[in-house]
Amino acid sequence: MNRFSIFINRRGASPVALIAFIVIVCLLIAFPVYVGSPYARHIMILLFLSIIMGESWNIVGGYAGQYSVGHAAYFGAGAYGTMIVINASQFDADKLSELQELAKDSRLSSLLLSAHDLPPWSGIIVGMIAALILSLIIGSICFRLRGPYFVLASIAVAEIVRLTVLNLPDLTQGAEGILISTLPPFTIGSTVITTFNSKIPFYYTGLMLVLITILVTWLVQNSKAGYFFQAIREDQDAAHSLGISLTFYKNSALALSAVLTSLAGSFYAIYIKFIDPTTVLSLDLSVQIVLISIIGGIGTIFGPVVGAVVLVPLAEVLRSNLIGESLISSGMVNADSAFGNFLTENLSHAHVLIYGILVVVVILFMPDGVLGFFKALLAKKRKEAA
Amino acid sequence: MILFLQSLISGVLIGGVYALIGIGLTIIFGVMRVINFAHGEIMMIGMYMTYFLFTLFGIDPFVSVLITIPLMFAFGALLQKLFINRVLGALPQNQILLTIGLGLILSNSMMLAFTSDYKILTTSYSSSSYRLAGLSVSKPLAISFLITVVITALLYWFLKKTDTGQAIRATAQDREAAQLMGINVKRMSILAFGIGASMAGTAGALISPTYYIFPQVGSAFTLKAFVITVLGGMGSVVGATLGGVIIGVVESMSAAYISSEWKDVVVFAIFLLVLLVKPSGLMGTSRT
Repeated sequence: MNRFSIFINRRGASPVALIAFIVIVCLLIAFPVYVGSPYARHIMILLFLSIIMGESWNIVGGYAGQYSVGHAAYFGAGAYGTMIVINASQFDADKLSELQELAKDSRLSSLLLSAHDLPPWSGIIVGMIAALILSLIIGSICFRLRGPYFVLASIAVAEIVRLTVLNLPDLTQGAEGILISTLPPFTIGSTVITTFNSKIPFYYTGLMLVLITILVTWLVQNSKAGYFFQAIREDQDAAHSLGISLTFYKNSALALSAVLTSLAGSFYAIYIKFIDPTTVLSLDLSVQIVLISIIGGIGTIFGPVVGAVVLVPLAEVLRSNLIGESLISSGMVNADSAFGNFLTENLSHAHVLIYGILVVVVILFMPDGVLGFFKALLAKKRKEAA
Repeated sequence: MILFLQSLISGVLIGGVYALIGIGLTIIFGVMRVINFAHGEIMMIGMYMTYFLFTLFGIDPFVSVLITIPLMFAFGALLQKLFINRVLGALPQNQILLTIGLGLILSNSMMLAFTSDYKILTTSYSSSSYRLAGLSVSKPLAISFLITVVITALLYWFLKKTDTGQAIRATAQDREAAQLMGINVKRMSILAFGIGASMAGTAGALISPTYYIFPQVGSAFTLKAFVITVLGGMGSVVGATLGGVIIGVVESMSAAYISSEWKDVVVFAIFLLVLLVKPSGLMGTSRT
């Protein structure tokens, strides 16, 4: 025994790790009470969103080893399902009579009309169902293919989804996107739970979703199905010859992952209150979802958490141009000089650059992700100590 | 009938450029078994190179191909030596992610340097066209098609007739056997990536008079390049040439007869169909 064994435990959940986890969760619950800054809360919400996306992808990508680079499709399904229903619930009389007129020859308009009668928040469930159906269709097409061909097929399907949403403006408002000015209050029965007038409800919703996805991942990791997923990842032919149904388990992993990703999409849509095909359905988003897990370390419960903790603050520092502004305000760079101009004008556009650099560094130097890298480092030290 | 012929001609003309992009990708895949997800971004670099050669030095985009080819070759060889070379034995997923990362770096560095504004390269002939038996043929597209044909022919000759070309093909056929025959496969890999990059860069140069130039233009072309190479058969140069022309024609036909909004959906649907029905593609041989 030595001092490192308390962190690394073969069965996964050592008492110390469990206590650390509970302490962190308690700190996160208390965070908004002590930190009032809306910006800090905003960053935390973005962090939660990235963790949810990363954990969801990790189930199919990390555990089952099926690298889907089309997860934007499920994210978009959640976002669009939620926004279309909320938006439809807010139609006024003029819009309704106009729709009734259109519904005579347009199926999509009549669909929109029936969405008006749904309770506004049921859109989240609509999104989940849409993502589930989509995942089953995608799974039945793409899981016949392996390796790089699967990656290509998943991209192609997600692109078809994006183009379809873009080209059905009657239902989705096309490239314009959907904007909602006020969210309906969230009620259970007749009790109003929240009216979403500050960042607090979003913060706790995000935290709750993070805990749910971590719990689901933990359950997956320790279930029989989870072992089958990992067997498929390691050697699908061997798994198949042992009687594991590849189609069934790959599709279940994808379906579970898709439903959780759609929740992330719904959460994003409700928080930002605006969606369009470029932000919620693009290939860039699919890639970002994959990178969260890859950078942290795939196939582990906390890999995506680490990935998000590394990525979100870095991307945000670039996006909000903290570096450029601090250089200028400290007087090191003149704001009117060419370099100052470059800092303020261009640097904020390039926050995705950090994703690119990180993924290259991770693939070349830490193929098991940041978490795996440090685990290996710890294990090495432990060996030396022994 | 006029509409049919018109879209056939413009499809074939743009298909020539697509073929160049596809050939580049397929050579890289053939020799290294790496799917280059940064292919469109490399093409985008070629577009910017052409743009600046034109605006700063007044070099005509079609003449600038002579400069773009060697520069992009060097750029590709450098990428291979610095990055791709290190993941040749890695999992296919990791190779894909590495090239995705490189693509992000390329497009975002360009955004950093030149913002995401659309640039337009306007030449005296940008919007002029030839009249041919009642059909109009875009002048820049026609010239770029001719250049494509010349370059493709040269490449075929290089691969078929020269020793280096044959060594590249041997490496693509069987890396280990080629190595045993005394072929320096590392050098072939660098050459292949260089050729692939210069093909992509040339394609970028050729379409720059007719296309918007902006940092994110690449990803659409990366996807197109996949469709083309999978359709033709991964690793097959003839297949990629054919695939490029077919995709060009399919695009312009579906734009003419269905609608221009849905043309990409048609292309992707064909892509999925090929993946499902004949993953080895038109010219490819099954490797499993």
